[in-house]
Amino acid sequence: MNAPAPAAVAAPFYQAQGDECRLFEAAWQQQLPVLIKGPTGCGKTRFVAHMAARLGLPLITVSCHDDLSAADLVGRHLIGDGQTVWCDGPLTRALRQGGICYLDEVVEARKDTTVVLHPLTDDRRMLPIERTGELLEAPPSFMLVVSYNPGYQHVLKTLKPSTRQRFVAMTFDFPAPDVELAVLLQETGIAESQARQLVTLAGQLRRLTGYDLDESVSTRLLVYAAKLMMSGMSPQLACRTALAEPLSDEADTIAALMAVIDTQFPAR
Amino acid sequence: MEDIVGGWWDKLVRRAAYRGHPAAAVELESIAAQAPLFFRAMGGDPALVLRSTVGTEHGARRRLLERLAGTGTKVELAWCDSQAFYLPDKLDLYPDAALNRQLYFWLMALAAAPVPPGDWLNRNRAATAACLAAMPGLALVYQRLVAGLLSMRPDPARLPAAEAAVERAIQAALRQPDIEQILPPITQPPLPVPLWLHPEPPTVDQAGAAAQSEAQNPQGKPPDQRSRRRRYRAQRVAQDERKNGMLLVFRAESLFTWDEYVKVNRHTEEDDDNNGEAAAEDMNRLSIAQDADTKSSKLKFDLDLPAAAYDDSPLGPGLKLPEWNWKQQKLVEDHCIIKPMLPRDAHPAALPDRLQPLARRLRRQFQALAPERVRRSGEASGPDIDIDRVIRFMSERMSGVAIAEPALYQAWPPGERSLACLTLADLSLSTESWVGESGRVIDVIRDSLLLFAEALSASGDAFGLYGFSSIRRQEVRLQVLKDFAERYDDNTRGRIIAIRPGYYTRMGAAIRQSSRILLQQPAARRLLLIISDGKPNDLDHYEGRYGIEDTRQAILEARRDGLLPFCVTVDREAGDYLPHLFGHRGYVVVQQAQTLPQVLTRLYAGFTR
Repeated sequence: MNAPAPAAVAAPFYQAQGDECRLFEAAWQQQLPVLIKGPTGCGKTRFVAHMAARLGLPLITVSCHDDLSAADLVGRHLIGDGQTVWCDGPLTRALRQGGICYLDEVVEARKDTTVVLHPLTDDRRMLPIERTGELLEAPPSFMLVVSYNPGYQHVLKTLKPSTRQRFVAMTFDFPAPDVELAVLLQETGIAESQARQLVTLAGQLRRLTGYDLDESVSTRLLVYAAKLMMSGMSPQLACRTALAEPLSDEADTIAALMAVIDTQFPAR
Repeated sequence: MEDIVGGWWDKLVRRAAYRGHPAAAVELESIAAQAPLFFRAMGGDPALVLRSTVGTEHGARRRLLERLAGTGTKVELAWCDSQAFYLPDKLDLYPDAALNRQLYFWLMALAAAPVPPGDWLNRNRAATAACLAAMPGLALVYQRLVAGLLSMRPDPARLPAAEAAVERAIQAALRQPDIEQILPPITQPPLPVPLWLHPEPPTVDQAGAAAQSEAQNPQGKPPDQRSRRRRYRAQRVAQDERKNGMLLVFRAESLFTWDEYVKVNRHTEEDDDNNGEAAAEDMNRLSIAQDADTKSSKLKFDLDLPAAAYDDSPLGPGLKLPEWNWKQQKLVEDHCIIKPMLPRDAHPAALPDRLQPLARRLRRQFQALAPERVRRSGEASGPDIDIDRVIRFMSERMSGVAIAEPALYQAWPPGERSLACLTLADLSLSTESWVGESGRVIDVIRDSLLLFAEALSASGDAFGLYGFSSIRRQEVRLQVLKDFAERYDDNTRGRIIAIRPGYYTRMGAAIRQSSRILLQQPAARRLLLIISDGKPNDLDHYEGRYGIEDTRQAILEARRDGLLPFCVTVDREAGDYLPHLFGHRGYVVVQQAQTLPQVLTRLYAGFTR
């Protein structure tokens, strides 16, 4: 679990696509929990980091997984020097600091774990800690943000409707081409013509989602490809390493993806 | 001797006249695996499948050698319609194989581009310009392709004025595709441009007709991959109403060409060699007429409904189901009638002896799979002590907030798996075809159902077994082999053994009904397993794109309702259309039909993990 981000540093770069920043800020002011849906690598985590820095709040991120128990979130007693010491979990810590607690990929967590969030997400805004007998009230600046990817294994893993109903929800998607272009230019300093080719390539590859590929090319992978190109790698090799190989393991599919990459970055 | 020398001369002159480079030829087969993905990425319609084109006469001026050899009259050009995208079977235009391969990809990019307005020349020119603007990587390839092509094209200076003007316009359009050209009036057809799409592709209707004849191919021997991909130019002609065909009393070759439609009486016996296929290859256009008799003696369609006494026993009057009309993009309510029935002549039967050993093995495997025990902490009793909890308990007691009766054991209670599986098997007539030594497809499906049912009953999960076939929309037959409520016993085994192939494959309606049944099952996960041997098709317009789109819609509906549809097929051509229907991970193609039972059970084990 991460240490709280120092609030004073400049906000990490985030290219807004619509009203999401204003919405987030309004939700924070009105003390509403937020749910962010969107595909892998479209900028959910970056958005939350950006907003935390912008609002001057500490951010505590928890990456959820199937073994995440309620105690992992809330806290537990530890034994030391012959006595027990209570140790706050990330949720409790965020609560005490009045910061943002961000649960990434919340559907991965066990359903009984997410239930501990319930009293925090309604008008009570409090967290009962059974083991210490404490009843923590959330300060006004505290905010709960959760995210998940609805396209990923959505039949097997979904958020319980009773949990989902407690959040205001925003849907994220891959940025529009001009926004994605701006992201690439800002993040990597790559030449504009090459960035434009990468964005067109992403558009071509995203047409294959659901047919030939399970997942789309994320903006994150595009940034990786651009970074490899900036480090002097040939664009073709960079795209192979950062785009074709991570998307598939099948030789035929990779060969076809390379043919698509050739339409933007041909092998000389 | 004259024959031999004549043969040599013919070979020699043909070879000398040939414009291509056979040594550098690239076959369509070599890129067939990559082509659909590439085409989709370029923006092509994901529902289109890959087909190869055949030659069309171009009528352009030929060289002296070609005229001498009687070759060079035809050209194979790429195009795309609402059913498929068509590419030449083989490309050997350039002396460099890599360049021929790149030409395939170039043609696909061009075919995937939206069709701009204008005449043939400007349409291709504008599409080329659009491709080059969107894909800078293709520009380099295009330069090489054009440079090579221009060196092969006639010099306008040597042509008559009218032809020279057309040739100049073509060459200018090839060199600078972004500048609009005015197409001069054409007196003599120009030499075809292999970098462009077909100027007059055959229309949709004709292609559809060919697809129909291809879909209804229930002969024992499957045609090889290559001839299935081939697409002939066809025209519909009215059937000659005279009762008997003409009698040829003179030498026919002095009068007719292969492709002229004339009703003649022929023997209907078929030989195994591909004379007919070779003739079709030579034809410019196949004529297709509706005839009462089918040419193939192996076609054993029973188009009328069987007499009631011999039919399966229907259960009730039938249910109305909607169907998706892709041309109108809407769901037509109450379009199909589904008739649940029990197989006729089903007698209780034990599992056939030959399946016993395999069934025993599968049962054992599935029993092991069934409980799916997981270690659980915090149990009130159990074989192991939960050290973590003991420590926590001790520390909590020391800190004064201990819970009264902690559960400090670890146990492996039975897993709470809640899964229902509906298996829907295709029982259409095409399953009567033979698959090598293991018999007919239907036999393999029967064995698979039996073994799969044995395995499922050992796993303890709820399951239902159904089969389907159809005769037009009014009669979609759903064979109830095992209902979810029924026990799996000798009665159900008997029903599975009694299944017979018949009729057609209206898959959409069958899937919709199965989804309804499956949705009534109280389970957390519901698996809809479809076993098929080919594309959806039926006697009416339910074939080709229509059938595929309806099936796709039914799958999307099932998925939207939270079901897990999955398809297992023995159709080797399935790679063309199944990704569109089931998505990348939603299907598996079984290369050898006899491995179907193992594949099914392995799949199921994978799903339940």
